Amino acid sequence: MSIIAQDTPGETVLLMGNEAIARGALEAGIKVCAAYPGNPSSEITGSLAGVADEFGLHVEWSVNEKVALEVAAAASFAGLRGLCTMKQNGLNVASDFLLNLNLTGCEGGLVLIVADDPGALSSSNEEDSRAFAKLGDLPLLEPATFQEAKAMTKWAFDLSEDLGLPVLVRTVTRVSHARGNVLLDELPRPTKKPRFDTSRPRIALPVLTNHKLLREKLERAGQVFETSPFNFYRGPEKPELLIITCGSGWMYSLEAVANLDLNERVGILKLGTTWPLPEQMVLNHLSKADHVLFVEEVSPFLENNVKELFAQNCVDLGLKRFSGKATGTLPDIGELNPDIVISTLQDILEVFYEPVSAEYALRAKEISDQLVPERPLGFCAGCPHRATYWAIKNALALDGRDGFVAGDIGCYSLGIGPSGFSQMKTLHAMGSGTGLAGGFGQLNAFGLDQPVIAVSGDSTFYHAVMPALTNASYNKSNLLLLLLDNSATAMTGFQPHPGTGKTASGQDAPILDLEVICKALGAQVEVGDPFDMKATTETILRLLQDVEGVKVLILRRECALVRGRTQKKLFNMEVDQDLCLGERCGCNRLCTRVFKCPGLIWDEIAGRARIDEAICTGCGVCAEICPSLAIRKEVV
Amino acid sequence: MMNGGLRALEERVFDRDLCVSCGACVSLCPYLRSWQGRIVKLDECDLAEGRCFNYCPRGKVDLNELHQRLFGGPYKEIEMGMVRSVLMARACDSVWAGRVQNGGVVSALTDLAIKEGVIDAAVLTDREVNLLPRGHIVSGREDIMACTGSIYTSGPTLEALNRGPWTGDERIGIVGLPCMVLALAKMRTSSLEKRTPIDRVDLVIGLFCTWALDYKSFMGFLQKRFGDRTIGKVDITPPPERIMKITAGDELHDIPLDEIRSFIRPGCHVCPDMTSEFSDISVGTVEGEEGWNTVLVRTERGEELVKRAEAKGVIESQPLPGDKLSHLKEASLLKKRRAIDALKDRGELEDGYLTLSRELIQQIQSESKEAP
Ligand SMILES: Cc1cc2nc3c(=O)[nH]c(=O)nc-3n(C[C@H](O)[C@H](O)[C@H](O)COP(=O)(O)OP(=O)(O)OC[C@H]3O[C@@H](n4cnc5c(N)ncnc54)[C@H](O)[C@@H]3O)c2cc1C
Ligand SMILES: Cc1ncc(C[n+]2csc(CCOP(=O)(O)OP(=O)(O)O)c2C)c(N)n1
Ligand code: SF4
Ligand code: SF4
Repeated sequence: MSIIAQDTPGETVLLMGNEAIARGALEAGIKVCAAYPGNPSSEITGSLAGVADEFGLHVEWSVNEKVALEVAAAASFAGLRGLCTMKQNGLNVASDFLLNLNLTGCEGGLVLIVADDPGALSSSNEEDSRAFAKLGDLPLLEPATFQEAKAMTKWAFDLSEDLGLPVLVRTVTRVSHARGNVLLDELPRPTKKPRFDTSRPRIALPVLTNHKLLREKLERAGQVFETSPFNFYRGPEKPELLIITCGSGWMYSLEAVANLDLNERVGILKLGTTWPLPEQMVLNHLSKADHVLFVEEVSPFLENNVKELFAQNCVDLGLKRFSGKATGTLPDIGELNPDIVISTLQDILEVFYEPVSAEYALRAKEISDQLVPERPLGFCAGCPHRATYWAIKNALALDGRDGFVAGDIGCYSLGIGPSGFSQMKTLHAMGSGTGLAGGFGQLNAFGLDQPVIAVSGDSTFYHAVMPALTNASYNKSNLLLLLLDNSATAMTGFQPHPGTGKTASGQDAPILDLEVICKALGAQVEVGDPFDMKATTETILRLLQDVEGVKVLILRRECALVRGRTQKKLFNMEVDQDLCLGERCGCNRLCTRVFKCPGLIWDEIAGRARIDEAICTGCGVCAEICPSLAIRKEVV
Repeated sequence: MMNGGLRALEERVFDRDLCVSCGACVSLCPYLRSWQGRIVKLDECDLAEGRCFNYCPRGKVDLNELHQRLFGGPYKEIEMGMVRSVLMARACDSVWAGRVQNGGVVSALTDLAIKEGVIDAAVLTDREVNLLPRGHIVSGREDIMACTGSIYTSGPTLEALNRGPWTGDERIGIVGLPCMVLALAKMRTSSLEKRTPIDRVDLVIGLFCTWALDYKSFMGFLQKRFGDRTIGKVDITPPPERIMKITAGDELHDIPLDEIRSFIRPGCHVCPDMTSEFSDISVGTVEGEEGWNTVLVRTERGEELVKRAEAKGVIESQPLPGDKLSHLKEASLLKKRRAIDALKDRGELEDGYLTLSRELIQQIQSESKEAP
């Protein structure tokens, strides 16, 4: 049984932050959860999908974040509790709906969890999603601990119903992906029948009336927040330095103050409700300290909002010194950690602290550098994307017009690096590769003679490529889209999507055929096997050179990890040690130096390539690249 | 002498636009491929020494050294290289008539060499599509017939020698342009591990050549002019007329050479060799005598084959008239002179691909005269 479904109120269990959020939603009695995957948010909906049947929930992987929020909002409009989860840049996609939804409000509790990725550890951008709370006049909560992650999520539904507004909960990687103790509460089984109240249409018009109403709701939220238990202060009555913090910054601050033994000098105001600010509470603490340091992830959100509040009250408060990201005291890019907070406190308060001697630190680093093998970011053994990029590389080289790949989001984004032979030259938001390629295609009229290849994963296609492809067809662009159909949303953990024939909770679903869709969107469609690199190269060349208009080449092969779970190896691979040329002219280690599938290794002593049996997936692709036919495949 | 590998090939040949697409570097390894008349580098190879650069006729060429190694003496005959005898000849068998470029000597000699077992197979050149040349391995008359006629674009003939397939013991003949014949000389004398059948190449018939055209740009030009009409025989009339006569569809068209000069491969402008000086036998046209070939016999095996052909009535010959010979020498020397001038203009006379002694350069400069 899933741990989040454990019906043992009063018991304390170890949960991942995202599981705690999911548990909070269960304890709040949600009926619907809709999401589009994205790190570090995916486990919330992933774990709810696992208990959907048991709790009678509708849990879905929607095709994108905007649709997900719409699906969750519908539940709310009909009086049920709805949850929606996404990663930071997912909110950009959902924002158009969100910034209308704020005006129409909601009925059943509607909570939107946004997981930010400070440091962009698994993202194409570093973004502070909290800006949307301020932009949309929406209440915002930020859990700092695992217990809070659960409790806040649960409370967010009450708050949402109380205010008639969707509530944003912002979490970050270190809260979502770490584990800690969580005290379990009751699991309700609501049976409310959904009904949309037609006498209360959800329409933003008249806009000004609804905007005014929204401002009033927000003001009420501020009042509620004044007494929220998620906001509290620890420290001396009049601290020399006041830290105002939220989310993971709270733990870092606690640790820094404790390690430096600054309990007598530094106070910490920890805020769980960060928009709107609990103004009175904040002003009260501001009045007691002359120097304020803000510890928060990504942007100086709290910092600037508190400074705004201060500016309105400065006549009463007098001069203050503010330090944070905005003042350059803390780094304004990348992820924070306790060390950064410690060294900041050392500088501000002029205290000395050496956690480990410099000499020890150096030695530890030397040793760990030796022990930890370098692991460049790359495709898995047997990944169809490697074979695809090989074909792209060769096709573009042969074409000779300095063509390039307009990239998109997914495992295949690794096409920016050596694993994809550095073919990808643009990378932005989901769907942007095809949008850009469509735009480049229009520049032929002005003399652009470089061919452009857009790539898209199957999940990305349903998410945001379809409009871009439609646009290219409609506006008669010239474009080649390679649809890398690996039957998975691989990058984020193999969530099913409309092409897989399964729903989030494992039920059968209709397969929305990519070929049919692309044809309907006006493209000339061909289907190929990326493992046949020679044929793929030729097809790409032909489509680039001889066929005008919008072309889609669907390259179909399951993700190596999916194959590994469900299928046997296709081939037993072997490198004939007599035929292998190794470093001699005629080869110079093409397979291990350039192609670089991790299943092939270079045997320094023998001076020959070898198959690493433990890693090779038996896809057979490398047999095609060996110039001396030393890599042999034998059907299993 | 340390030569270079793919990096050198890229920097010193591709980047300088000197590649003439002879194909000597192709099919030795997976890093280079020929595509639509161009040699394409697919990946980086970091070997310090490689056959690609070693074989390339625009890699490093020391004429004197090559001459020493192949002909056993210094490079002295600055007009046309080592020549044993000069004649004017044509093929006798009527099967060649109408399909060969000039007198059919090249095809007839190849045919005889295979029939007599001098060689088992030959690498000739045919059209892959349009005017795109490719190396074609032949072992009988029918195949030879498929390769007759001159293709004035340059293509990777030698790639076929590298690629095969070969059984491993056949003796091989090759017909090629002067750059190809030079590459073969470099292959023969290279000290690198060979793994190509170059040591079984027993007959090299070199063509005369003033320049060759770039396939892609020339095809673009033809397409604009003739649409999709198939291109048949192409010929170039000798000076002073200098006109490309080209059959497109069913019609014969004249294109003044000035209209196509821009498609000449830049690598041809620095080529000093008009008569394939490292061949066994070199064959070209005879100015003003349609249906005849000029034949330069350079080596003993060349001489033997020509004599046998005459004896068997495969070709008929007569002495090349003196004025034509001196014209030929003039033209050949002029090509050298122009190559030197071109290298000088490019600033590559000193550190360029071609090593020529100061004395030879001076001699070429003083003895060559501008054509009328
Ligand atoms: C690019 C080019 C430029 C030339 N320039 C001159 C010149 O300036 N002056 C001159 O006297 N003669 C020149 N020739 C040679 C001439 O055109 C005839 O090829 C030669 O006279 C032999 O005639 P033939 O009747 O014996 O040829 P054929 O019996 O018809 O045989 C022709 C042979 O040439 C080979 N061949 C054709 N095209 C190519 C190519 N692109 N690369 C390699 N091999 C090829 C074929 O394989 C065939 O074996 C040139 C030839 C070419 C291909
Ligand atoms: C707007 C947005 N939502 C979600 C993500 C997270 N994300 C990154 S890659 C990816 C899935 C890509 O799947 P697919 O297109 O099938 O390619 P694959 O990884 O399978 O190669 C997702 C959901 C994101 N980067 N941006
Ligand atoms: S011929 Fe040899 S040196 Fe040149 S690219 Fe190929 S492997 Fe490298
Ligand atoms: S001239 Fe010949 S050997 Fe040199 S790069 Fe070009 S094709 Fe290769």
